[in-house]
Amino acid sequence: MAVHSDSASSGKKSSNGPNELLTFNAENMQNNMKIIYYSRTFLSIIGGVVAGILGFTGLKGFVFYLLLMGLTSLGLVAKAGFSTHTYFDSWNRVLLDGFLGGLMSFVLFWTFAYDIVHIF
Amino acid sequence: MAEDLVLDTAIRDWVLIPLSVVMVLIGVLRYFVSKLMNSSQTPDTKIVKEGQVVVRARNLRVGANFIPSKAFRARKIYYCNEENGLLFVPKGQGQNPQAQMFSDPNMAMDMMKKNLSMIIPQTLTFAWVNFFFSGFVAAKIPFPLTQRFRSMLQNGIDLSTVDVSYVSSRSWYFLNLFGLRGFFSLILGEENAVDDTQRMMQMGGFGFDPSKGLSAEKDNLDITQHDWALPNFEQRAEAVLRKVIS
Repeated sequence: MAVHSDSASSGKKSSNGPNELLTFNAENMQNNMKIIYYSRTFLSIIGGVVAGILGFTGLKGFVFYLLLMGLTSLGLVAKAGFSTHTYFDSWNRVLLDGFLGGLMSFVLFWTFAYDIVHIF
Repeated sequence: MAEDLVLDTAIRDWVLIPLSVVMVLIGVLRYFVSKLMNSSQTPDTKIVKEGQVVVRARNLRVGANFIPSKAFRARKIYYCNEENGLLFVPKGQGQNPQAQMFSDPNMAMDMMKKNLSMIIPQTLTFAWVNFFFSGFVAAKIPFPLTQRFRSMLQNGIDLSTVDVSYVSSRSWYFLNLFGLRGFFSLILGEENAVDDTQRMMQMGGFGFDPSKGLSAEKDNLDITQHDWALPNFEQRAEAVLRKVIS
């Protein structure tokens, strides 16, 4: 995915030494946040289509969405080399950022695929 | 009691897909129209000056630990001094930017244009959906909802025994409205994605930002403590050099 190729590699903030000096390059941080957002949105759309085709209903679908978000977070953390503190300023950002927006897209495409495949 | 309704394939061909396609196209159209209609407004010098002062103060706050404490205190007084400090705005003057913004014809026109360009396509599409696509079951949402949602989701369908999962096309319109935001941000690239609900939330706090920004920045600067980083720099240099060598 082209989005991932230039992702966390450009997110430089000065690493903190033993005395916790934290400085952030705001532009790089914004770039990283944008990349998280794109990845989440893209995966929610794909995940929605997959869930619809596989015929998940009700709770199973939402569990699938949560799994998907967890997978996204894991992937992002792995790409950041497991040292998220050099690329983001807090854990919550990388874990929870595009969650709700992704949920709406997921539900839309889930409904769409489910209807096309199963009802009609 | 989940009886499975069998829905006509024609509904899928002529309702679901055209509605989604129309909404995507309208979103793209709106994006391009807004790019064309974006009159370049010459920014007000006073507002730009205040913005830059806030940025300088913020930089001072962020980099406070890298300059000697006397220098930091001198700069802090320069900003926060009660009489002629840059960030100090007496209460009376604070209202001016907002009043100026509304009386300035250009800016008012721009805000109105932005509002209109958001509201009109939504209203038109909604009216179109209501006129053409009402009175039948359009889609089935894959998760069950309680009975209270029935009136919201099924407003064209007057049977009360139909499962709440079977929704009318109006709810398909709303679902599209919210769900396509993420899609737009992918295909239109960057922040220009038509994120109208977010912009509507931003419209509320627009005019009042400059005066509050100044006093907020002043308060932030007042409470910043100075903790000079130089004594510990040797350890940092050692750590970095170790990483480089090893």
